[in-house]
Amino acid sequence: MRSLVMFSISGKEEAKAMPDRRCKHIFAMLSNYLNAELPLKNCRELERHLKGCEPCIAYLESLRKTVEACRRYQVRKIPAPSKKVREALWFALQ
Amino acid sequence: MNTQIEQALEILKSGNRQDAERALETLQGVVYGFGLKVCGSHEDAQDTAQETLIRLARQLREFPDARALSVWLYKVAKTQCLMSRRKSKFAPAQMLSLDALMPKDSVLSPAGTKTWQITPEEIVLNQELRGRLEDAILALPKHYRLVLILRDMEQLDTREVAEVMGISEETMKMRLHRARVFVRNALAGYVQHLREGRSKSHA
Repeated sequence: MRSLVMFSISGKEEAKAMPDRRCKHIFAMLSNYLNAELPLKNCRELERHLKGCEPCIAYLESLRKTVEACRRYQVRKIPAPSKKVREALWFALQ
Repeated sequence: MNTQIEQALEILKSGNRQDAERALETLQGVVYGFGLKVCGSHEDAQDTAQETLIRLARQLREFPDARALSVWLYKVAKTQCLMSRRKSKFAPAQMLSLDALMPKDSVLSPAGTKTWQITPEEIVLNQELRGRLEDAILALPKHYRLVLILRDMEQLDTREVAEVMGISEETMKMRLHRARVFVRNALAGYVQHLREGRSKSHA
């Protein structure tokens, strides 16, 4: 995790900071946030940023949907185990 | 770790032949499915399943618990996939740069990132979107692809993925984020196209 340069500056100063710089810093944390693996102080920083940044909220939501789609993806056709596999297993179980 | 896998492995370890057939089918589904997602070819997936499950049969009694055995199972399956005959399917083992994946300023404007009005179910059920998801995953360099499949599709936790891949948890998290962003960006164009199509049809 990068150092938290933005964490120490006040709300007014933060508002003046370049939006792309803040967004870029937040951007690197999004997956850990979705996994609930972001340290608490980073979590607070991210949530404070999200309150005022519509593009980052939308990007986070699209990332969440991408992850959810991966989770729901299922392989449709699964062939039966081969004869060799069955033989090896029955031998092992004897 | 997926409890279904652990239960199947427990059944096999117990030597209960009556339930072994069902347990074997579960594991065939897991390993074949993993192989197909990683290799993108039914033939390679079937080879992966066969070689992995034969090795499993030989090692069944060597592991103290089903969790250790299931991590081992994914390690073997991963190695089989990397040795698959269609190696050319894998993109070069390049690094994905977060800067390069970061959306451009124009995309990160409120207009450019309107909430995706598509559900995860649609991504999976819509045949074309499903194909785009598969293509995006197959376009990932192999070490990113494996991490994404293990974490988001097989639903192993961070520690388990790091263990299967033989990397630190920090490296695993970095690769996962880049892989997710890559796939998200690959789907974004089509989602935008779908949304525009819907807007027109409702106009």
